[in-house]
Amino acid sequence: MGLFPGLPDADRAPVIDTVAVELFGVPSLLAGQRRVAVVGATLQELSVSLAAVCPALLGKVIDPDTGWLLGGYTFVLDERFTTDRRAPIAPTSAVLLVSTVAGG
Amino acid sequence: MYGTHGRLLRVDLTTGTSGSEPIPEIVFERLLGGIGLASYLLLRCCPAGVEPLSPENPLVFATSPFVGTGITTASKLAVAAKSPQTGVIGDSLSSSYLAIALKRTGFDALVVTGRAPEPTLLVVDDDRVTFRPAGRLMGLDPAATAEAVRGDMGAGFRVAAIGVAGENGVRYAAISNDGRLAGRTGAGAVMGSKNLKAIAVRGSRGAPVADPKGLATAARGLAERSLGAGTAKYREVGTAANLAFFDRMGVLPTRNFQAGSFSGAEAISGETLLLDHHTDKHGCAACTVGCEHRYRTRDGGPATEARLEYETLFALGSLCGIADPNVVLRAAARCDALGIDAITTGATIAWAMECAERGVELGVPTADLPRFGDGASLLATIEAIGTRSGLGDLLAEGSRRASAIVGQGSESWAMHVKGLELPGYDPRKLQTLALGLAVGTRGACHNRSSAYEVDFSDRLDRRSEATARASAAATAEDQAAVLDSLTLCKFLRHALVDLHGESAALHTLVTGRPTSADDLRRAGERISNLKKLFNIRQGWTRAEDTLPPRVLTENDGTPTHLSRPWLDEMVDAYYGVRGWDEDGTIPAAHLERIGLADLVAEIQPVGTQRSTAPVAV
Repeated sequence: MGLFPGLPDADRAPVIDTVAVELFGVPSLLAGQRRVAVVGATLQELSVSLAAVCPALLGKVIDPDTGWLLGGYTFVLDERFTTDRRAPIAPTSAVLLVSTVAGG
Repeated sequence: MYGTHGRLLRVDLTTGTSGSEPIPEIVFERLLGGIGLASYLLLRCCPAGVEPLSPENPLVFATSPFVGTGITTASKLAVAAKSPQTGVIGDSLSSSYLAIALKRTGFDALVVTGRAPEPTLLVVDDDRVTFRPAGRLMGLDPAATAEAVRGDMGAGFRVAAIGVAGENGVRYAAISNDGRLAGRTGAGAVMGSKNLKAIAVRGSRGAPVADPKGLATAARGLAERSLGAGTAKYREVGTAANLAFFDRMGVLPTRNFQAGSFSGAEAISGETLLLDHHTDKHGCAACTVGCEHRYRTRDGGPATEARLEYETLFALGSLCGIADPNVVLRAAARCDALGIDAITTGATIAWAMECAERGVELGVPTADLPRFGDGASLLATIEAIGTRSGLGDLLAEGSRRASAIVGQGSESWAMHVKGLELPGYDPRKLQTLALGLAVGTRGACHNRSSAYEVDFSDRLDRRSEATARASAAATAEDQAAVLDSLTLCKFLRHALVDLHGESAALHTLVTGRPTSADDLRRAGERISNLKKLFNIRQGWTRAEDTLPPRVLTENDGTPTHLSRPWLDEMVDAYYGVRGWDEDGTIPAAHLERIGLADLVAEIQPVGTQRSTAPVAV
């Protein structure tokens, strides 16, 4: 049993590279840093990896059961807002984790 | 209708008279309340072509059926007048206990016209209206004014007041109540032009709701949900959280929109402010969200504490090249104390900073010019604006008028739409918002067009066609109109699964009138059209639905660049989605279709007659 029992096997693809995920707002404050280096080939994997590196995100930003983002948060992958778990990550990808509540 | 009193209080400051007039139930049915009601009363009471700072320009305060019901965030006061800043509709909304107090007087709205012969305090105590000399209040900031009035009259009174800027006719002066501002479009200048320093209100009669038990249960549920993930950003960091993210996305207006990112962003980010400057947080009147974060200076200078929202932070920070949070806090505190809109203040000063950078003559010694990144000059210029002294007298006109006076090409870097300065979103990368800002009835406003939500999502991409963006912009505008009229805080929108459906259910419980989600959608469309009607009546033309030259390229339209042809194409599409003519006017048949024609039938078109018609019975 892995750290996230609810995670589908299909999402447990091999990791490929280190990616710096940039955190904004609540995720940044919880993690205590703006930038976290994690590994993953998809956004789902990045999310799982992020939770392992920053356990403070669990329960507040990342669902402890699925390893995926809780409602209210989204990734921005190369300037595109997405919650597609299977979105592939390239070594050069820019990945941001932000609140879905954009703006004022 | 439950939740309303069905009448307004009309006050004429010139004659010192007042009277009650009925508000037909159909007005609430079709336009809900709040901004919808205020816009309607403004359209009815404001003559075409009126000079905004003349006695004839009505100053309207309106509540809604939700005010005072215990629905979280709903205690909001709508303020409307013809804007002295833009010449089109000026509508503002602020949360305060004054909204509850006004509703408890037994009136749903207050319409003030005329000009008092001397500085005046208007007192509304239930249905008793008195006028008191306010000479001793002149020169006081809004908070001190409210304290003095309540000290004299009792803590049961709630107070709206202007600061020195309103007294001096600064065109973007605000009306302050409970520390919150009806900030944009210059309602404070209208109030000042009427010699009205403050309004004190006390009431003792609520408006019964249709289903008190059902409403209490629903309101409790909404209050619980207001504390969920959908509002976490606001509760835990506040809107200041936007700044670092916007900087990273390249949409943080910097140095008068000369750039979209700022080297000092981290220093003034919401996260840094929270860690290094935060004191506490508060909620508005009857609000469970509690988004209002307060901060304190930490530099050893004069201690200052202020509330900071993202818009204040960007306007007095990155837009002016200021990376010192202590300066931004002092500037924000002074804007509040003087009673001026921080966005326009920062944007107009940023315009002057660029003038100084380019060597444009502004009629004052070089040493008196504000400079990008120079905190001392920013603070000095804010003071000058509030008192209309030196360069401040020019800048008190706002960037559109100031640039027209100065000329020398400076109009091209005056960053406004219809005279209202752009909020803290660079439209070059946010194209749905760009359209929303261009067509906005009160000018460039993110609160009346939350179209940025579409840009900050995966719903559209940069190549999306004009009609898709037009539809999204119109929908966002109508949704904002519904929230502003109900009156619910926009921060609740993420706590609601079905915004229109759940709001309609609340509306039914309050008013007793069965209301559907589609009823609210239609009301939103109606209110957006109503505001446009006001502008048309005041002489609006299509040429005003555009953006500053700086953010537009002149090349052929392409959905990946914000070019002038592309913006024009989006505006065309927006008019089409709205059912308007190509020149942006509203066909009579459309007014009929959306249920506005009978409400506005007897209001005269532009320039044909000065309307003095009372509100219809």
